[in-house]
Amino acid sequence: MIRRRQALTAWLFLTPAVLFFVLLFFLPIGNQLLTGLYDADGAFTGLGNFTRAFEDPEVLHSFLITLAYAAGTLVVGTAVGLALAVILNQSLRGRTLFRSVLLIPYLTSVSIIGLLWRNILDPQVGILNRLLEAVGLPGQTWLSTHPLATIVGITVWSSAGYTMVLFLAGLQGIPGLYYEAARIDGAGPWRRFFAITLPLLAPTTVFVSIIGLIGTLQQFALPYIVTGGGPGNATSLYAHRLFIVAFNDNDFGYASALSLLLLVVVLVLSLAQLRIGDRADA
Amino acid sequence: MPSYNRRSFLQLGLGVTVLGAVGAGCSPATPASRKQDSRTFTIYWNAGHGYQAYKEVIDQFGKDHDLQMNWQKFQWPDLTTKLTADFRSGNVPDLVEEVSAGTGTQYGLAGNVLALDEFAAADKEFGFPGDFLDQAVVARQYEGKTYSIPLHLTANGLLFYNKELLSAAGFEKPPATWDEFLEVARATTKDKVSGCALNSDPSYAAPYYNQQKVDFSDVGAKQFMTPADGALKAMQWMQDLIYTHKVSPAPVATTDYSGPQKLFSAKRAAMFVSGPWDIGPIRQGSPDIDLGLAVPLTGAVQSAAMAGAGLMIPAKAKDPKLSWELITKLAAVKVELAATKEAGMSMPRKSWASDPAVAADPNLATIAKALAVVAENDVALSASGKAAQINELWKKSYQQMIIQHAPVGPALDDFRKQAGAAL
Repeated sequence: MIRRRQALTAWLFLTPAVLFFVLLFFLPIGNQLLTGLYDADGAFTGLGNFTRAFEDPEVLHSFLITLAYAAGTLVVGTAVGLALAVILNQSLRGRTLFRSVLLIPYLTSVSIIGLLWRNILDPQVGILNRLLEAVGLPGQTWLSTHPLATIVGITVWSSAGYTMVLFLAGLQGIPGLYYEAARIDGAGPWRRFFAITLPLLAPTTVFVSIIGLIGTLQQFALPYIVTGGGPGNATSLYAHRLFIVAFNDNDFGYASALSLLLLVVVLVLSLAQLRIGDRADA
Repeated sequence: MPSYNRRSFLQLGLGVTVLGAVGAGCSPATPASRKQDSRTFTIYWNAGHGYQAYKEVIDQFGKDHDLQMNWQKFQWPDLTTKLTADFRSGNVPDLVEEVSAGTGTQYGLAGNVLALDEFAAADKEFGFPGDFLDQAVVARQYEGKTYSIPLHLTANGLLFYNKELLSAAGFEKPPATWDEFLEVARATTKDKVSGCALNSDPSYAAPYYNQQKVDFSDVGAKQFMTPADGALKAMQWMQDLIYTHKVSPAPVATTDYSGPQKLFSAKRAAMFVSGPWDIGPIRQGSPDIDLGLAVPLTGAVQSAAMAGAGLMIPAKAKDPKLSWELITKLAAVKVELAATKEAGMSMPRKSWASDPAVAADPNLATIAKALAVVAENDVALSASGKAAQINELWKKSYQQMIIQHAPVGPALDDFRKQAGAAL
């Protein structure tokens, strides 16, 4: 009787969450799956939209540059976030201020960040070229010559503060005892970093990389605002391509299929990262 | 028989409260315009066209009909995205500004906007199509049906020039031909000033290829950018302005079409090619610039591209008659004249063109000359339902040629192949 009552209570409290996920996640996913079975004219195509994606050069291009964008952002972003965390974990004057300042870009709307950098990097009227010219350096045209790397740079700039906070939390969980023992054994700062800090931060690194991977694979707003997916299709990431298929080509069936394929990729890559993390922990 | 105590009642009460709250929150979202009472009238409009002349008409219309006017303004790409989503959901605005001729036809053939011929036929006083210039009307018709009413009629291809900069370089008159244009651009390119500025928006290439007698599309023959030699010449010439003659900076890929106008306003470019919509921002932003406006250039021929917004009524609008009434007020000649006075915009009515105020304005006279040489639009492209898809392919090719310096011939061939496949 008590167990039954406990179960009822548990269900009462669980029901809102279950309803939330069913109504706002699983039903739309199901609806999308259904939409993905029809072409732009509403004719049933079965899995036609899904197989079409593997032969569509624009989709394949967007997928490949998204992987490049994700890899670049994860590697550089993690390294920058970790470096900042290690520096600001030392007892420096004003470190709280630095930590807060570094977090500001992450707290700023992506639209503002996009417009801000768009204006800074504009080769003709942007402030960066004026500064470069003022010190006698040649101006840059990165938005045209290295558009994807520029988007990676902006993403790293905007997310470094958040990554830093995560690594700071991880660093503060490492007992100082380990460092003391290593110091007594004669280990220098680099040795202590590679032998103690890095291995013990493995769970944080896995978390940072999974969150980062999910975010970067779904990136849409930044290239849309900064370059409009161009020049050509150089920054037309997967989510941007998907948006073009849905709202420009008006082919919601194909767009639904593309979004489900992205879901599968995100799931597979996230699970793989979790596996790697588990092995590293073991 | 279960026994109830105070604790179980509390648990039950809490559960029901939470369920109710979540249920309310998770109930299907009531679309904004449905949530509002039926006396709300929603209009989608381009952010750059929010003239006081239109605001006054809309405000008065709301008062006359006791309506709450919900005038929403967007950039064109955002308006298109929102409208596409609205058509799918069935929750549509009451009146929409159409980005350019043909868009309404595309929506109309898909059943998303109304054909307006019956409204126009029943409203003789409005004067449609008799009082409207033919090119603005024909471009909005397909198989005898009209899917939008012209609001503006403009020409992309006008030459904007800084009189002071040209004069300093020894030119008292603006260039009229491609050769003269290049000569002036070379002479005015100095220090931080470029002789001209090209746009990252591919629609701004139209005047140049039209001046080589190139048609963007011939849907019947599944051909694009023909004849090929003219297209190659036009696009190569544009590319050479940047990379060979170095008289224009390479534009930056963006969704904003106002880059050349901003450079011109900052006195960093001596000339650029655009339409009347850039007159207002230059006058307001840089009143000290001695702005010159010249007729379209002559390549193989003198030509410009037709532009100009329209008005359309979604098929599921709450009260199409009411929407039509607002169209007649917004496209009335006195409102056209007020908008022209305010923003320098050119209009589609014959009675507007013959008004003394318009005839006496030298800029408007130049625009009228440009309108006389606009190239014909291929209405079959809009009717194919593939215009947006093909324009996106053109954007990719154009930016590859102009921004990324891709070889023109292969880029054009690639575009033709992909556009043909899309059809």
